[in-house]
Amino acid sequence: MARNGNVIRTRALCKNFGTVQAVRNLDLEVSSGSRFGLLGPNGSGKTTTVRMLAGLMRQTSGTAEVCGFDVNTHRDDVKAVTGLLPESPGVYSKLSAHEFLELLGSLNDMSGAVLQKRIESLLSILGLESRQDDLLESYSSGMKQKVLIASTILHEPKLVFLDEPTSRLDPAASVLVKDLILALAEETETSFFICTHMTSFAEDVCDVIGILNDGQLVSVGAPAEIIEHVGAHDLESAYLKIVGGEVDRKTLLAWR
Amino acid sequence: MSHNWFHIAKAEFYVTTASMRNHRKLATVTLYALGVIWALYVAPLLVTGVLTVLIPLLELRIITLAILPGLMRSMMMFVWLMLFLFPLARGLEEIKIGHWEIFLSRNVKTSDMLSGSFLGWLPLNGFVTLILAPIVISPFMMILEVSLLGQVLVYLVVTVTVIAVLWLSSFTTAALQSKLGNSSRGNDIAKALAMVMGLGAVLPMYLIMYAAPLASAVLGSDIFMLMPFTWTGDAVSWLVLTFNGVGLTSEQIAAFSGTMPLSLFATVALVAGFALLTVGGTLRAADRAFTISAGARSERTTTVGRDNLILRGIRRIAAGSFGALVVVNMKDYFRKAQNLSKMAYGVILAVVLPLMMSQFSDFGEVFSWERIIMMMSFVFVMIGAMPFTGVGFLESKSQLWIIQGAPKGPRRYVKARLLMAAITGMVLTTLPVIVIAMVTRLQGFDIVMLWGFGCIMTVGSSMVGIGATARNPDYEDTKSPAHQANVMMAVMIPVFTLIGSTVLLLVMSSLGTFQVVVNLFGPGAVGVIAALTGPLAVLAIGSMFVVSGVRNLSSPD
Repeated sequence: MARNGNVIRTRALCKNFGTVQAVRNLDLEVSSGSRFGLLGPNGSGKTTTVRMLAGLMRQTSGTAEVCGFDVNTHRDDVKAVTGLLPESPGVYSKLSAHEFLELLGSLNDMSGAVLQKRIESLLSILGLESRQDDLLESYSSGMKQKVLIASTILHEPKLVFLDEPTSRLDPAASVLVKDLILALAEETETSFFICTHMTSFAEDVCDVIGILNDGQLVSVGAPAEIIEHVGAHDLESAYLKIVGGEVDRKTLLAWR
Repeated sequence: MSHNWFHIAKAEFYVTTASMRNHRKLATVTLYALGVIWALYVAPLLVTGVLTVLIPLLELRIITLAILPGLMRSMMMFVWLMLFLFPLARGLEEIKIGHWEIFLSRNVKTSDMLSGSFLGWLPLNGFVTLILAPIVISPFMMILEVSLLGQVLVYLVVTVTVIAVLWLSSFTTAALQSKLGNSSRGNDIAKALAMVMGLGAVLPMYLIMYAAPLASAVLGSDIFMLMPFTWTGDAVSWLVLTFNGVGLTSEQIAAFSGTMPLSLFATVALVAGFALLTVGGTLRAADRAFTISAGARSERTTTVGRDNLILRGIRRIAAGSFGALVVVNMKDYFRKAQNLSKMAYGVILAVVLPLMMSQFSDFGEVFSWERIIMMMSFVFVMIGAMPFTGVGFLESKSQLWIIQGAPKGPRRYVKARLLMAAITGMVLTTLPVIVIAMVTRLQGFDIVMLWGFGCIMTVGSSMVGIGATARNPDYEDTKSPAHQANVMMAVMIPVFTLIGSTVLLLVMSSLGTFQVVVNLFGPGAVGVIAALTGPLAVLAIGSMFVVSGVRNLSSPD
């Protein structure tokens, strides 16, 4: 389990792709039961960070512990206690939602009545029970995302990595996912590490926010603290103040 | 907008030459210059050299004249199918509805889209034709000593045919893409069709290789006058006869009208008419081809039922999570049309090969299973390697992330895949074994042994295929270098293993190693060892590939 109450602990974590430094000296601590949101612009290193923490990618230097396990030496232990929702949907087009979840459950060594009951309950909660036997090739991207979210929590992980969980979801489904995260965090002490672009989603769901810019963690704290610290009125404007990106109207039309 | 066809052709040309984008013009000109040298000088010299070494020229001339019209029609049928099916198969591997949306939203004429994509691919297709056509045509030129004018006219007729067929192929590709739509289901069906079309080009090649006289006799009948490839074949035949340099008289040439009822002018007119009609007709019908439709077949929702008897049986035998993993793997695999198509491809080739060989080989003598397993090893390699290599393993990198996300996920996943491949391989092996047993009149114990060692070979080849794909996943991209490399490895590694084990046996035999075996078990034991070495070596190599593949799949980036 978590050491010192932390589910994630990194020290000077770095990842280079050739000459590109995707993640630079990341020092991070995420406490058990928390909902940590990692915000940052495209290409800032969010997905790379998640992949390193989930044991899917080797760091160039530095250390990382997840639920007390070193991600390099205890990779399988890390995987056993975590769940990962990848950035793009990697479902099997020729399986139904039920069969896909059975595949993922089997990979996590689950079987029998327990697995079947969980699959049915999750599909029902996510509003997919009427289409659970349809092949995934006929699902919309939002529906696929829901199935993937179900697959992520199917084996009751202690820590869930969600990479852009709501990017393909309609507002109603986003609210559902938000409520699911909050319920799981409050009732089961599941920790969440969420990468997202959606500042409003992060503000509503996460109790701690980290802002990553150009591979470096530039700000960490509760959403209210970050907003107050930079003198903004909401997280979106705080985010823009921290990472930049606001372009005036004259510049926007300068290409004409 | 003007010259839209040119812009599209330029873009398509850039796509076909992307691998040499730094020296595009220089490389194209150099390749074409080399192609022309090959076509005019090297290929005729090579073909002539090889043929005259094998058969004396006079004998060759008599044989050629005896079967000329039918043989030429067979050749042209092969060329026709190659030119029509391969671009079509290639086109179906990548549905381009997204490109169409961009063009159509900018009010580009569909005829411009058709001519642009045709012209963009013409340099590549033309180059392939430049390399292949002389191999087919030059033997006739050499054997009948066709004059320079005759050769020019022959290549003119062939060029017109090539353009017409490629144009028709472009149109058909667009029409099929439109019907299939850019969906997961549409892509799957397209890839399955591409594989079946490949078979359509390979089977006539088998026919020409193994049963040319039979093909010639069949295609010589009048009913084939309705087929456009016959017109080209007959036009070329008339031209090589008319412009021959071996002293055929006009009476002797006229005697060919018995098998070629239409005259030289009539066949040439038909070829020209076909080309004009194809280009004109398809340009007029381009609107119909480039219609973005919902694609009824691709939009259909498939609902799955309960597990069938076999899957329930597997769940019962392999209870727990691993059994479930195998069953779900099987469902995913067998629901993909492209996988079924690949299985059919392997099995059809495996069945056709012994049948074709029986046409010219003397299978009258009694064979033992040991001899057959050595003769037919390649058949089992095809069955094992083709269906489980490249595609049908991982659809995307995200899928790999998901599998890697589970503890020992890749190892369990590959193990389930292997078990599925083994079960499937054993079933697929049965069909060619039955055909081989019928052709070679094998009986009882010999059939069982052939099946058993055929299965070992099939499973070993599947292991090479799965291992190679796990080492270098191609994520369903059949055009990727990874896919090409995987398919090559899956077929070539077992084949080279078989050749290597044969060489080893020969060396050991020459050193007298088997004398001990003969002394202990009798001379029959040597045959058994010789038959078993190949399949077991393939199985061993396959195991190594799987171990290496699992290791690669499990290791983080």
